[in-house]
Amino acid sequence: MFLALKELIHSKGRFIMIGLIIVLISWLVFILSGLGTGLSDLAAGTLKRAEANAVVFEEGADMSISKSMLSESISDDLLRQKGVSDTAPISTFSTSIRKSGTSEESGKKTDAILIGIEPGSFIEPTSTEGKNLTDDAADQVLVDSSLKNDGFAIGDTLALSGSTEKLTIGGFTDHQTLNHQPAIFVNLDQFRTIRYAAPGSDNGIEDIVNGILVQGKDVDLNELTKADEHIEAGSKKAAVNAVPGYSAENATITMMLWFLMIISAFILGVFFYVLTNQKTQQFGVLKAIGGSNGFIIRSVISQVFVLSLISVLIGIGLTYLTTLFLPEAMPFHLEVPMVMIYSIVLLLISLISSLFSVVKIAKIDPLTALGRVE
Amino acid sequence: MTGIQLKNVTKRYQENEFETIALNDVSLTIEAGEFVAIIGPSGSGKSTFLSIAGALLQATEGEVFINEQNITHLNEKELSAVRLKQIGFILQTSNLIPYLTALDQLLVVKRMNGSVTKEDKIFATELLNDLGLEKKRNKFPNECSGGERQRIAIARAFMNDPAIILADEPTASLDTNRAHEVVKLMANEVKARQKAAVMVTHDERMLDYCDRVYRIEDGILKEETNLI
Ligand SMILES: Nc1ncnc2c1ncn2[C@@H]1O[C@H](COP(=O)(O)OP(=O)(O)O)[C@@H](O)[C@H]1O
Ligand SMILES: [Mg+2]
Repeated sequence: MFLALKELIHSKGRFIMIGLIIVLISWLVFILSGLGTGLSDLAAGTLKRAEANAVVFEEGADMSISKSMLSESISDDLLRQKGVSDTAPISTFSTSIRKSGTSEESGKKTDAILIGIEPGSFIEPTSTEGKNLTDDAADQVLVDSSLKNDGFAIGDTLALSGSTEKLTIGGFTDHQTLNHQPAIFVNLDQFRTIRYAAPGSDNGIEDIVNGILVQGKDVDLNELTKADEHIEAGSKKAAVNAVPGYSAENATITMMLWFLMIISAFILGVFFYVLTNQKTQQFGVLKAIGGSNGFIIRSVISQVFVLSLISVLIGIGLTYLTTLFLPEAMPFHLEVPMVMIYSIVLLLISLISSLFSVVKIAKIDPLTALGRVE
Repeated sequence: MTGIQLKNVTKRYQENEFETIALNDVSLTIEAGEFVAIIGPSGSGKSTFLSIAGALLQATEGEVFINEQNITHLNEKELSAVRLKQIGFILQTSNLIPYLTALDQLLVVKRMNGSVTKEDKIFATELLNDLGLEKKRNKFPNECSGGERQRIAIARAFMNDPAIILADEPTASLDTNRAHEVVKLMANEVKARQKAAVMVTHDERMLDYCDRVYRIEDGILKEETNLI
């Protein structure tokens, strides 16, 4: 540590270059990660955030909520299965909303997804502003706060295209989107009135819902399907992956992130190696006067660690600074656990990339200190 | 107390079919407090001698004792410890660490051995003062003259309080006045601190400061009597 810090302070110039590269890499990694979370939130935020262990669908629906239809009464059978502690029905319907009083033709319309739930069930997010859903006020809804940017406020009455029903915004909640649309949580009964207004559109299913989320410590998916003949069950992850566009978006971002990390490992490795090579004579002297391999390697590694740590911290700072200037419409959500995970990965990468140098150091012959030219 | 003892040391280098005998049956004993010079033409085996005496290189035959410890069969790690505790090296120029101040150059030796105590700092300062470097204590190598840098290297060699001091052409890059000054200071420290010291040199003007002079030629070491 002693040598490492003294050198960092004395030869700032040569380390600023490498530091800058690590800053830029980590900046890009954090921005990509924020974008990744933002996009996956947009696609499946509501499902991702639901504290569910499994989801039950109609058989043959491919784990997709929009394709599945079943009766809410299956909930009771599910609750009797091993390990199940709670259930929450969910129904979804993509629509467009406008402020009540504007006309269907000329009024400004906003796409949204109507999510029917039981008030108080575990899928209902807590409101960050205003009220949660209640059983009494059926027309009162809890909506995603991104709708604020479209000019909506608490107390606004909403008209839905193709429906005569009116809804009132009772509260806002954060990061609740599904199928790339802001969520509007509504009482399930009210949902059915809107969605299945046309006679027969519910296929004759009593108390129709699209899916049932299941909570429980060790829920067995096979056991779950025994509750009813015509259902299938999947993990929450499977349900999230089945959301249209989710897997494709996620895979793209993840691939970019890992490529970036691998490339940076090589770049940093080369830099550290060149730096070590330049100091062969110096390390030879240290060995000649009794410095052990361990002493020199520790000092090089701790130098890489300190340099990377400072750079990654600057990268984090820059990222948070950047978020202030990102356009509102850009799906960007930086999660603290993600920032921590990627910081650790970045630190590990620079430590691993300095291993080339370690091998090189171990091989330096202390005789080089005598400056013998063969 | 014996500082360095070489018993019938031979060093052969094998290069393809050629074999070079760099040291040929060399025996030598240097007691604590003795300052010995080794001279000889280039390629005669001086550096090889110093490397073997300094635990940097293993002899092909014979035995080497440092401070009465037989180092002939030690492994690389043990040799490194011997260098740290028993040997002070004064190498040719540019062997200081560029980003350390004079004081830190000395303290790093202690760091290698664990930690730096208050006494270590006092000792380091005392050594620097002995060598006339009071004003250079907090200066970096590039802020010092060649002679000052070599004096720092001498101070560093004494820092671990070793049994022996080995110097490889310490005056190679210095003008006559500086060279005299540096070797005189080195001789003083060797006497004052009772070290067994060997200086390899090309420079015959420096021999006045030494107790004994050896000449090496084609790996054969002979004491020089008519010089002094
Ligand atoms: N690593 C080595 N491999 C082969 N031959 C060497 C090696 N080091 C030194 N020699 C040879 O050993 C002899 C003595 O070298 P050296 O001790 O460096 O002499 P000096 O320091 O007096 O110039 C020379 O002939 C040199 O070529
Ligand atoms: Mg030589």
